[in-house]
Amino acid sequence: MAVRYADVKVGDELPKYVHAKVTRTDLVKYAGASGDYNPMHHDEGIAKMAGMPSVFAHGMFSMGLLSNVLVNWAGAASVKMFDVQFRAITWPDEPVTCTGKVAGKREEGGQKLVDVELLCETKPGTKTIIGKATLRLQ
Amino acid sequence: MSQDDPTEFQARLKQFEGRELGEPFVARDPVNIPMIRHWCDAMSDANPVYTDPQAAEGSVHGGIVAPPTMLQAWTMRGLKPPPTKGADVQKELWGVFDSRGYTSIVAVNCDQEYARYLRPGDLLTHSVVIDSISDEKKTALGQGHFISQLHTFRDQRGETVGTMRFRLFRFKPPAKGDAPKEAPKEAPKDASKDPSRPRPPRPRPGMTRDTEHFWAALKEGKLLIQKCRSCGKLRHPPEPMCPHCNSLEWDTTLSKGRGRIYSFVVMHYPPIPAFDYPNPIALVELDEGVRIVSNVIGIPKDDIAIGMEVQCEFVACDDDLTLHQFRPVAK
Repeated sequence: MAVRYADVKVGDELPKYVHAKVTRTDLVKYAGASGDYNPMHHDEGIAKMAGMPSVFAHGMFSMGLLSNVLVNWAGAASVKMFDVQFRAITWPDEPVTCTGKVAGKREEGGQKLVDVELLCETKPGTKTIIGKATLRLQ
Repeated sequence: MSQDDPTEFQARLKQFEGRELGEPFVARDPVNIPMIRHWCDAMSDANPVYTDPQAAEGSVHGGIVAPPTMLQAWTMRGLKPPPTKGADVQKELWGVFDSRGYTSIVAVNCDQEYARYLRPGDLLTHSVVIDSISDEKKTALGQGHFISQLHTFRDQRGETVGTMRFRLFRFKPPAKGDAPKEAPKEAPKDASKDPSRPRPPRPRPGMTRDTEHFWAALKEGKLLIQKCRSCGKLRHPPEPMCPHCNSLEWDTTLSKGRGRIYSFVVMHYPPIPAFDYPNPIALVELDEGVRIVSNVIGIPKDDIAIGMEVQCEFVACDDDLTLHQFRPVAK
């Protein structure tokens, strides 16, 4: 069951979401689902011509994976705001570990809001995304 | 005021602030369940509120909604080319950056706000405004400018359903270190001696029935110039018809391979793994009168000059490819 506002405490950790391995197929699926066909993300030849060692994940793909932390924790809650900083590139075959922590809770204009801090890492210490979100809970 | 003046450049950038990146773009399809399903598959997101009508009915949303992070996906053009009418402000801005060497780009931030969750049937219109362009900043990637774009998504009633602030960093890729002057690199034959990484073979020139004689002769150490059998004039590159008298009859003559640099460029970016950089490419005017494109070898790039006398050499790039290269003639 989705978490309820009354039960949330500042410092609570959100259940971790792990994408075991980013595959090239994942990137193709994301390209099709998002409409982002930038060839740097699926065409090895073009990525190498641009000086990259291989294709790499769309930043917005990692952002989407990170949103699973919110959905898995808060269910159908309404996300009001979701901000991310792209800090490092995610390469094929890397795992993506998404975590979150409650940073604050507040009632504002009749809405019960929870602020969370979010993080995507490929390996411990390699932060690919730092983010934050505000959710409206029941 | 000079083109190179940094304040003049900054002023040019500032003129883009507040401009829309073209006409607002209406989504090609309304929000729909099949695309939501594709997205959820790609994200391994199994929440039924996005795909299962019955489960969604009982949720706080009272029906199916789209994942909020799909906001931008609804108006992506996919492989459809951008509209040709109207000013392409984005292209114009990138052109201004390119002209000053800011050729690399990286996404830095994406901040989304959702006014409401989208439902199947919603038809979005997407508009983008260049919000701000920073002064030049130094970062670990290099020197460049942050560009903040404000994306606004409106529904069929014209109400804003979400916004996205997307920040990009447009920067000068750091130089990989110019070749030291005392040890000029001789591209491309010696390039394969770099043991640090295997390099792909040099790309093949485009060969056709009209040009294959030229490339085949290089393997034998001959530089052939095409000669019209009718009017006797020389021409290069090879082509089937004489541009002077329209004759289709031709022969070749053997060039002495001596000429002068008519013009040249030095390629820096984007680096293509088969070549060494910087990569000087010259247009050589042969003594016979035609001009030919070639690499210049055996000289540091800064010492290359227009008018310099050069001699052709034949360099075996690999087993299948021999190319003409020009080396300055020692005085």
